Amino acid sequence: MRLADLIGGMVVLFFGLAVVFFSSQMEYYSEFGPGPGFLPLWVGVVLIGCAIFVIINVLRKHDKIGTFFKPRTKLGLHVLVIIFITFLLLPLLGFSIGLALFVGITMRIMGKHRWLSCSLTAVVTAICIHLIFISWLTIPLPQGLIGW
Amino acid sequence: MDLLNHLYTGFSIALTFNNIIYCLVGVLFGQIIGVLPGIGAPTAIALLLPLTFKANPTSALIMFAGIYYGVAYGGTITSVLINVPGESSTVMTCLDGYQMALKGRAGPALSIAVIGSFIAGTISVIILMAFAPALAKLALRFGPAEYFALAFMAFGLLTVFGGEQPIKTIISTMLGLLIATIGLDVVSGMPRFAFGVPQLFGGFDFIIIICGMFGIAEVFCSIEEPEEGELLKSKLHLRDLFPTWQDWIASRWAILRGGVIGFIVGIIPAGGITTASFLAYLAEKRASKHPERFGQGAIEGVAAPEAANNAASISGFAPLLALGIPGSPTTAVMLAGFMMWGIRPGPMLFQKNPDLVWGLISSMYIGNFLLLLINIFLIPAFVALLRLPYTIIMGFIVIFASVGAYSVNNNLFDVWMMLGFAVLGYLMRKLNYPIVPLVLALVLGNLAENSLRQALTISGGSFFIFFTRPISVFFIVIGILAYFSPVIRWAFRGLRRVRVDTTSSKT
Repeated sequence: MRLADLIGGMVVLFFGLAVVFFSSQMEYYSEFGPGPGFLPLWVGVVLIGCAIFVIINVLRKHDKIGTFFKPRTKLGLHVLVIIFITFLLLPLLGFSIGLALFVGITMRIMGKHRWLSCSLTAVVTAICIHLIFISWLTIPLPQGLIGW
Repeated sequence: MDLLNHLYTGFSIALTFNNIIYCLVGVLFGQIIGVLPGIGAPTAIALLLPLTFKANPTSALIMFAGIYYGVAYGGTITSVLINVPGESSTVMTCLDGYQMALKGRAGPALSIAVIGSFIAGTISVIILMAFAPALAKLALRFGPAEYFALAFMAFGLLTVFGGEQPIKTIISTMLGLLIATIGLDVVSGMPRFAFGVPQLFGGFDFIIIICGMFGIAEVFCSIEEPEEGELLKSKLHLRDLFPTWQDWIASRWAILRGGVIGFIVGIIPAGGITTASFLAYLAEKRASKHPERFGQGAIEGVAAPEAANNAASISGFAPLLALGIPGSPTTAVMLAGFMMWGIRPGPMLFQKNPDLVWGLISSMYIGNFLLLLINIFLIPAFVALLRLPYTIIMGFIVIFASVGAYSVNNNLFDVWMMLGFAVLGYLMRKLNYPIVPLVLALVLGNLAENSLRQALTISGGSFFIFFTRPISVFFIVIGILAYFSPVIRWAFRGLRRVRVDTTSSKT
């Protein structure tokens, strides 16, 4: 966790530096008062200061405080990958079918439910999404190649 | 007399069939959300917000308010029966509620929580009716300097209430402010941090960030660390639910004290319902003649935090309605709702939209009463919800978050951005960077920046404008004290240690 905290602090530090760099290219003070670069510049400065504080704090302390990777972190990452793939496929499959497949697949992978219950839930989910969001609430969700 | 007129106006709106149904749906949904793990009030409201675009704003806000205070009721069930708080605001209830359940007194624990919440909630609405218009009147005197000072104080108070590591709270606040600056600058029209991406010129919509950081990020966290507890086997019958006369005697002052503490903490920007319940529990323990009973199943330990969290969830509407400043993530999401309907909360809201304000406030009486009935007669049904597999809940969250993010601008770019914010939210939680300061800073960011720029333009660039107006000075001083609270606390701790050392060396 110390390493993760250190990396976190470094990321904030670089982020703060980037913010200061980009906001220094904006107008700091105009004839009407503070310009668009005024607040972001100071936000960047505070970010840098706080990040340095975090980094020093991590380097000073040597006690172990928890772990970044937990036994089920991998499972969480699997779900992230499945969501990522689902979002990639949304223009092709449409929201109803794409998100229904997501529900069915995660039920199978995470919950270890039977194939039959996963498939049935996916079908019911697709019908519900279509009826509620597309037909009832008339949200123009992408309907994919199948058009549903 | 004015109050009675307002009450009449409010009830004539809140008691229409349509609004009662919205209120019932809100409290029922809130109760369910409170019972289910991994989803809270801000997420639930954010997920539903884009879907209520075509609804009447008053009705939709009545429903959202119902979700907010309904969640606090629902979270109690899991706290008492499985020792897992359904909501962070019911963490303190676990301490004595679960102990009572182990001793076979789950019924009285649940009912005193419900009745305590109802009493404190109702008292809170009465005070809110008198307090909010007075606050709005005061806010009419606010200029840009006062508004900036208020935002400055709110950010400072986040350092006090935000989390264990104040520096990380400040970083989180700064990130929120920074995200708020993305897009076209309202004064100069210059794009900031858009990097030529046209979708970023309008900035990030608040709904997208909430859906990602509270909705999907919570899914990852819940998968990683599932909140599993063992449901107590004993069945709950209606006759077991009622507290005894001794329970009443023991709880009456706890409910009142909890209600008052909850109301006060709720109106403080960044105070929140979790802090309210925590402080009420501590105060009750201190006030008790038998503090050793706390943690062993003392009914006051359930009554006080439950009364406090409900009172705070209602008083949290005072700064939102009267000042346009949200004090918690849930009211921040509701502020986004106001903006979606083109309504600006603040002092003028009481004059421009009295129907909405008083209809919303009056609906809280009805909502609290509905929750009382629901919780007395339907607790076994909500207990059954605890057996719902998390994969199903997760599916619901992902579906609503994706549709919600898409429907903001009807494009997939927002769905991807939501996923990006989900990953950011997940990493921040893992590294102990609190999310709430980011969200509040994001909502207040534009107000803070515009007020700062207007104030400095008026003063010709002099920062003294913030120190020459009494209200502004008051807010700035509180803000500075809040920012330095970790240093002050550290200094006090050092002084106490020195004193203890000297007394021990003398003896």
